[in-house]
Amino acid sequence: MSIVRWKPLIHQLPLVRNPSLSLREQPKRYIRCCPKNPSLSSLAGFVLGSKPDSDRNLRPIVEAKAAQSPPLSQETDLISSEQFTVNRIKKTYGKVSVKLERRCGYEARWMLEVSCDLVGKWILHWGVSYCDNQTEWDQPPPEMIPPGSTVIKDYAIESPLNARSEGQSESEVQIEIDGDTPIGAINFVLKEEETGRWYHNKGRDFRVPLRGSSEDEITLSMKQSVSIWPEAFDQISNMLRKHEESDPAPAPILEDNSDTSSKKPIIAFHEDYTVIKEEPVQNSMTVTVRKSDKSSDKNIVDVDTDIPGHVVLHWGVYMNESKNWHVPPPPYPPATKVLRKSALQTLLEKKSLGLGNRGSFALNKEVKGLVFVLKLDEYTWVNNMGKDFVVPIENSTSGNEEKIEEKPGTVSSTDKSVDTGAAPYTENLISGIRNLVDDISSHKNKAQKTNEEQDNILHEIEKLVVEAYRIFKNSSVVEKPDKSVDDTSTTPTQLVVSSGTGNGHEILCQGFNWESHKSGRWYHELGEKAKLLAELGFSIVWLPPPTESVSPEGYMPTDLYNLNSKYGNIEELKDIVHKFREVGIKVLGDVVLNHRCATSCSENGIWNIFGGRLNWDARAIVADDPHFQGKGNKSSGDNFHAAPNIDHSQEFVRTDIKEWLCYLRKEVGYDGWRLDFVRGFWGGYVKDYLEASQPYFAVGEYWDSLSYTYGEMDYNQNAHRQRIIDWINATNGTAGAFDVTTKGILHSVLERCEYWRLSDEKAKPPGVLGWWPSRAVTFIENHDTGSTQGHWRFPAGKEMQGYAYILTHPGTPSVFFDHVFCFQEEIRRLISLRLRKKIHCRSTVKILKAEKDVYAAEIDGKVAMKIGPGFYEPERGPKNWTVAAEGADYKVWEAS
Amino acid sequence: MEVSLSGPKVIVTKLKDSKVKRLGFSAPGFGYSGSNFVDLRRKCRVNWVGLKAIRAQVAVEKNNAPFRKEKVQSQTPVELLVGLPLDTVSKSNTINHEKAISAGLRALKLLGAYGVELPVFWAVVQPNSPHEFDWSAYLAVADMARCAGLRLRVSLNLNGCHRPNVMLPGWVLQAAETDPDILFKDKSGALHKDCLSFAVDELPVLQGRKPVDVFESLFRSFSSTFKDYFGSTITEITVSLGANGELRYPSFPPTTDSEFTSVGEFQCYDKYTLSQLKQAAESAGNPLWGLGGPHDASKYDESPNNSNFFKDHGGSWNTPYGNFFLSWYSQQLLHHGDRLLSIASNVFGDLPVQLSAKVPLLHHWHEMSSRPAELTAGFYNSAERDGYDAVTEMFAKYNCMMIIPGMDELGSNPESLLHQIKQACEKHGVQVSGENSALVKQGTDNFGKIKENVQAGLKTFTYQRMGADFFSPEHWPLFREFVRGMERSQLDADDLPEGNGGGVSLSADSEAGNNREMQAA
Repeated sequence: MSIVRWKPLIHQLPLVRNPSLSLREQPKRYIRCCPKNPSLSSLAGFVLGSKPDSDRNLRPIVEAKAAQSPPLSQETDLISSEQFTVNRIKKTYGKVSVKLERRCGYEARWMLEVSCDLVGKWILHWGVSYCDNQTEWDQPPPEMIPPGSTVIKDYAIESPLNARSEGQSESEVQIEIDGDTPIGAINFVLKEEETGRWYHNKGRDFRVPLRGSSEDEITLSMKQSVSIWPEAFDQISNMLRKHEESDPAPAPILEDNSDTSSKKPIIAFHEDYTVIKEEPVQNSMTVTVRKSDKSSDKNIVDVDTDIPGHVVLHWGVYMNESKNWHVPPPPYPPATKVLRKSALQTLLEKKSLGLGNRGSFALNKEVKGLVFVLKLDEYTWVNNMGKDFVVPIENSTSGNEEKIEEKPGTVSSTDKSVDTGAAPYTENLISGIRNLVDDISSHKNKAQKTNEEQDNILHEIEKLVVEAYRIFKNSSVVEKPDKSVDDTSTTPTQLVVSSGTGNGHEILCQGFNWESHKSGRWYHELGEKAKLLAELGFSIVWLPPPTESVSPEGYMPTDLYNLNSKYGNIEELKDIVHKFREVGIKVLGDVVLNHRCATSCSENGIWNIFGGRLNWDARAIVADDPHFQGKGNKSSGDNFHAAPNIDHSQEFVRTDIKEWLCYLRKEVGYDGWRLDFVRGFWGGYVKDYLEASQPYFAVGEYWDSLSYTYGEMDYNQNAHRQRIIDWINATNGTAGAFDVTTKGILHSVLERCEYWRLSDEKAKPPGVLGWWPSRAVTFIENHDTGSTQGHWRFPAGKEMQGYAYILTHPGTPSVFFDHVFCFQEEIRRLISLRLRKKIHCRSTVKILKAEKDVYAAEIDGKVAMKIGPGFYEPERGPKNWTVAAEGADYKVWEAS
Repeated sequence: MEVSLSGPKVIVTKLKDSKVKRLGFSAPGFGYSGSNFVDLRRKCRVNWVGLKAIRAQVAVEKNNAPFRKEKVQSQTPVELLVGLPLDTVSKSNTINHEKAISAGLRALKLLGAYGVELPVFWAVVQPNSPHEFDWSAYLAVADMARCAGLRLRVSLNLNGCHRPNVMLPGWVLQAAETDPDILFKDKSGALHKDCLSFAVDELPVLQGRKPVDVFESLFRSFSSTFKDYFGSTITEITVSLGANGELRYPSFPPTTDSEFTSVGEFQCYDKYTLSQLKQAAESAGNPLWGLGGPHDASKYDESPNNSNFFKDHGGSWNTPYGNFFLSWYSQQLLHHGDRLLSIASNVFGDLPVQLSAKVPLLHHWHEMSSRPAELTAGFYNSAERDGYDAVTEMFAKYNCMMIIPGMDELGSNPESLLHQIKQACEKHGVQVSGENSALVKQGTDNFGKIKENVQAGLKTFTYQRMGADFFSPEHWPLFREFVRGMERSQLDADDLPEGNGGGVSLSADSEAGNNREMQAA
């Protein structure tokens, strides 16, 4: 258990002053007071942001004035009266509990619970970091986001804490975490919505390491060092370091800390933070000077304040203009102590009903004024803007002129006390020291506040800087000295596209099937079709893997720099890329990064020595595949067992791969990548590769099984699409992924005539395209699932329903080569409709029907479609729908 | 003394002013869209930074109050600027890296920068003829700065530059093809394609027009095109007075640029300069002195120690001939500077902008009595003679601020030269601004040096310059900490009642001045 200092960013007044707060309430030091400064209350209005509120905050002043008016009118011998507004900070202690534990009944599900027992509308402002970089804030996968949350750009989520039960002040929020998640930690800060204040952990983010962290130990030892402050310094150290002090906390359970792999198991975490909610509270204090009605040579000073609790007036008087502190001759009011002959301390008398305190001081006529500060408890002093309160006492005859100067308040009276307050500082040693301590701590507070606010700004700045750096880096080698401007790169900067997703209107064609290698001249054959593909409306073509390979299809690469394959040689490859370029189609290279086939044996007969330009050895192979005796680290993903899996955690491997990708971009002219078997390694490495090679478009093959129960596909495939999205997330969104979920669901839909599956529990499309459409590359078939392999063939005869779905829906649709020719005219119609109606990867879908035998949806309000044997017709209404395409069990309309 | 202001009150006023924006901030709490939210918050932050600047100003104000004994050296907060990339506008008059610059501007604004410096090149504005001007891309950049809430210092470069490879305008170079002597020429006959010879300033060599007239029309065109920006966005105009945008001869080899650290050569071998030299020699009664530059000066790649001209003891620099030549050579530079500043102050004089020009900090070889690198660049400075007095006098004459680069240079040479120049400025009442000579690298104390120089009293400081390296993870954190460090020392000055007087502050927003008036009213 540690105590954390929670600080509001900006001083402000509470929205509701609620004295009945059930929590321990303790006024603390650092109190500032300024006489009648209404502009301070506008501060509150500024923060709270509405006029009525600021009016409300003005009210105490108004009320106090009313209360003070009777003495004014009744007592004729009144000399002066001055009211001060006292702003002090009220602190309420509470507890924020952060708990990470396994979810009951689920082996692989974890639950993070953040609860707070302070009254308020708390918001958890959080993000996740995928690696050990502690400061990183990323968007969590949608699955993790609790209901009612709001997404803040691409780096944070705001989730409200909800009352644990009706009427209870304790509120909590729960975040569900998948046991396999690549997330390394969850970072958060808290916000109190009503006041808009942010709460940090010692000026930094709260951090929940999912897999433990060595940092905990460091923090602990630091805590210990705080508690061994010498006794004698206790007071001051308490005052200055109160909030860094803590009870010695039990060490979080750290298991398996020696395991260096990034896939450490999630470790339970429980920490309670004591929070101090600081609420500025406004009190007032009225000081009235009147003639004594008993003795003519005395003046009476009445002090009246609504500050609750004990209030001690630490005071002295001055006799002349120097305003040095003096102790007046006795008698003193009751409960008065004399402090070293330089000041008096008088405990003020409690007003009835606990509404405040008051005191009366009879002073001789010679006394020119009263100087004082307030003491609320051992550490809490109230002064007047860092100076003493000064109450001048004038003779009633001469007072008026000066009073005018004194009364108008804000500027002049403060300054006067600033100017004159210096003397008691030097005179009164004790008071001086006390004030100094007060001063230092208030500076400290200020500085802290500044730092926190700056942290927020810095966070924003860093984001901008990263953006600026990225763009500059990519465009800075534009103009080289002493070379004529080359024609290709005259407008280089304008073309920077949000990485990996193309322009959003892309339509992909898989430009080969499992048999394409057989002719030995595929590049040539496909090249002849470039014009046709362009005319059909495709904007991107995906070419087969280009490297030398053990298998003729190219997915068992050997020498990455040997670009002569069964599809053709490097010259033919360049030629076809050029051909597609000419017809305006971008080209994706199929890159196999997960594994690579060795070209020779090591001494002990294991095939793990690579040939070609990248002559890696066993160090480049992951350690957890027994077949190849890799000497690298454990795999960061699943293993592909037919070939040595490459260990991407090795720096040299990554450098080589980046260089290779850049070479392909430059030498061959590829515009982007189709990434093979990305399940095999961590998406963060892909991010690295894509940032280095800057593709126009990139899509990864993350193919794993959907969830089935007793052979029947589950309706809810959220976990499946989550895994794909986790991968996209790990790449930082630099790549899209094939929407395997959608394909799988379409299988069940079409095979079993269960069209209701096409709407998820939130009436969104159930695949990746329902959650992250701009990164979903939808497809119904590829060289593995269909073609002559047929590992997972799309229901025969229903292909066009599949295309009617993906070609009208958001996401980036991909059409398999064979289908381009089987269903050429139907696909042409659908593509041309998509382009005509400008449906893009982020278009919105409104699902109109998802029943047993029919699914219907409207996209962007411009296209309506239905698949299935059931009936659907778009409503006759303001829009005039005309049929744009039609076929077996599908129909598509466009609004005209 | 009733002018007293106390910090917290000013803050309150500022907060009031920004109430509207803050209103927007709290509204999102009750149902908002994400992007919207962040934007609003950003606005608030901008405000907040502005507020800090006010604190800073107030701090200085307080320290300046008559009853304080400490003398505060810097009267106003130091304004921090960052130079935009030299290739911000391409030769084809389009903005390069627009998105990056716009993100960069926002980041700088949030960090508390006062403004940016925009390098303008003659060849970009007048690519085709002396009659046409194309300011479109520069206007767009000025607009970006205005939107970001940053001020602009515009550097009008009448010279070329090797590193984004912008030379003189094509039509000027065409003129130079027919008459190569309008360009600077070194002893071996190599031409400087980035700089017109000072000797042709008033000769009709550019399609029948004098360079000074061409420059004047360029200035006028700039002044009328950007009239909406002066005072509000554009607060300073820097005029280049010679090679590399500085008051100097292009004494470095024609193919390199300012990073040349050797001594360099005298550049007086074009026929126009030679004829002026001849005249000067004749009127000095020594026609033989007018046949060329010193025959015994070192070559580009030679050490001055081995040259008869520059060597410390008995070098010919310290002879009557040396005195004649160096006086004449430096006078030519001064005349050129005077001509341009007179045009500039004539054109820009009435605008609410500060006129400034750059003087190089040629500290290499400063330890030699002959100060050879300064001599070849046109500053007749030596152990016995102050070459900067006349220069500074010229700046004072036109109320021109002096920009000195090299504020980051460590070592005794830069320090003593800087001291010399600053003393001259103090003598003539010329304001001094600073620049660094290169991006600061990790593990060096250049930022410490900059801070020290800034604290010693500069009007503005321009950090050169934005680009990929500037924002790189190796550099940016250093720069950010530098800026924050400066702010911190400013906070100290504010917070500590007795103030140590050395506080430096970075002003983010000069509207603070208006605020002060409001307070007084």
